[in-house]
Amino acid sequence: MLSPERLALPDYEYLAQRHVLTYMEDAVCQLLENKEDISQYGIARFFTEYFNSVCQGTHILFREFSFIQATPHNRASFLRAFWRCFRTVGKNGEAKKKKKKKENLLTMREYHCLLQLLCPDFPLELTQKAARIVLMDDAMDCLMSFSDFLFAFQIQFYYSEFLESVAAIYQDLLAGKNPNTVIVPTSSSGQHRQRPALGEASTLEGVEASLFYQCLENLCDRHKYSCPPPALVKEVLSNVQRLTFYGFLVALSKHHGINQALGALPDKGDLMHDPAMDEELERLLAQVPGLVNSATANPEAGCLPSRTPPRVGSPWRPLHHARKVDAESDGSTEETDESET
Amino acid sequence: MAAVEKRRPAVAPAASFTDSGRPAVSRTAAPADSEEDFLRQVGVTEMLRAALLKVLEARPEEPIAFLAHYFENMGLRSPANGGAGEPPGQLLLQQQRLGRALWHLRLAHHSQRTAFNNNVSVAYECLSASGRKKKPGLDGRTYSELLKRICRDGEAPEEVVAPLLHKIQCRDHEAVPLDVFRAGMLTCFVLLEFVARASALYRLLEDPALAVADRRVGQAVLDTLEGALQASDGAPVPARYLEAGSRLGPDSLALAMDRALVARRPSSPMTREEFLEKAAALFIAKVKPVA
Repeated sequence: MLSPERLALPDYEYLAQRHVLTYMEDAVCQLLENKEDISQYGIARFFTEYFNSVCQGTHILFREFSFIQATPHNRASFLRAFWRCFRTVGKNGEAKKKKKKKENLLTMREYHCLLQLLCPDFPLELTQKAARIVLMDDAMDCLMSFSDFLFAFQIQFYYSEFLESVAAIYQDLLAGKNPNTVIVPTSSSGQHRQRPALGEASTLEGVEASLFYQCLENLCDRHKYSCPPPALVKEVLSNVQRLTFYGFLVALSKHHGINQALGALPDKGDLMHDPAMDEELERLLAQVPGLVNSATANPEAGCLPSRTPPRVGSPWRPLHHARKVDAESDGSTEETDESET
Repeated sequence: MAAVEKRRPAVAPAASFTDSGRPAVSRTAAPADSEEDFLRQVGVTEMLRAALLKVLEARPEEPIAFLAHYFENMGLRSPANGGAGEPPGQLLLQQQRLGRALWHLRLAHHSQRTAFNNNVSVAYECLSASGRKKKPGLDGRTYSELLKRICRDGEAPEEVVAPLLHKIQCRDHEAVPLDVFRAGMLTCFVLLEFVARASALYRLLEDPALAVADRRVGQAVLDTLEGALQASDGAPVPARYLEAGSRLGPDSLALAMDRALVARRPSSPMTREEFLEKAAALFIAKVKPVA
């Protein structure tokens, strides 16, 4: 009921830990951008709506990237928004997967366009990194399923800074250095393992898991950004003898305990399951005049959701990447038609 | 305070947004200055400052939700205070006042005694600044109603808290001084927490399949609790706390439960309500009635 540490912290640390000032500053910026609103509704109302939207996680929609990645809560909210907005895209792909061998999935660039619909200045680099986790660092123009991309993206986006440090540690280990002795002079573990003999290391791929874990444990201890729960990292690493960097990232992205601890997305099995949203979508679709015919003309009601993505995409046409999305959605519509006939 | 000062530079980046987006904004001085002036003029600076101080005072677990709630309440309050339009009915006004007082009372947990006491005083002022006809002051009726509301929202069973209300209530027409009010509020909140803890304790004793606890064990726990509460009544304060603490330590509690199970008495069930009622009775027995 009470978490006493919170009460014992100095004021400034308490505020920093919960990012109170980040949101207050942003609230003021937003207020200055919308001066007309406050003369109409009042300042208290403006702040009420702002802080409520932060609680609900809708505050990150269409905001600049620097804000979206500013706090863990913002990152989780963005992941959730991405999932909820484009779930139907994934549904399309997943359904195909079962139906026939040829999968109608998306490329890294196409996922990037989807991300940019929610955050116009979303950096390509981050999308690329996420795709690299799915595609194991090669063949970057391959197609990916929505859920594969989403879970890889989640790890890459949410733990971005942590993964950068991990990459550095991994490189050091590969090069035969023990990062514990280099990066952390006051290593608490005290027992620095002898690195494996060079000849042995070069014949095997990746690094030794237990040594890797020691370094990561150390990293988690002193890392100021969010990192996955160390116990789960240990679990991931204790299943294998050796592993590569991307092997590690894949394992993280597929670990459902880590997904749960992060708390933004449902389990993989429930990813396409959101009855409330489905109902809302169908209600909205019924209101769009042009759509009613095609929907009613189609005897299979089950096909309706699979048609959703291109239609839902269309209202955003004026946005920056409209052409790209159009091209992509036209393609998927054709695909859909083909498979139905 | 440092925190409040820290917020200032943040206004500067906002300037660039507004400049490009809204050329209509008058710019007599440097943009950053005019924005600061604007914020000060319309009262944002003062409002955020007050909000931040409230956050720091209460240290809520979820500060953002706290802020949303804080501003929402402020928004609801302002039309009534503004005095524009029809004055709301007496009953409605009374409800609003109760709501506001409750909100103040809940801002800080009672263990943060300074913050809690401040909020109690504010709540008292809210309630006693009543209609123009009456003299300022808080009457027993409002006070009792507030107590009932707190208990009801606290989700404690009615029969559990009823004896407390009986003890600390004032008569409807009586004036309630601040110290009685404060003691009443504090007792009420502490009892609610006590009941919540007792309820958690019961859950541990409960047999999940039957949804009842063994009477022997339940009674042993209650007896231990009673012993701790009544221990060395005459002793000075810190010694009394220590003694109670040691009597409730896991080892002595376990010992009592063990003894109860070993004793060859027939086992009978004890329901949650009964356990809570008995536990609360132990607490309430310690409360001094309002004279």
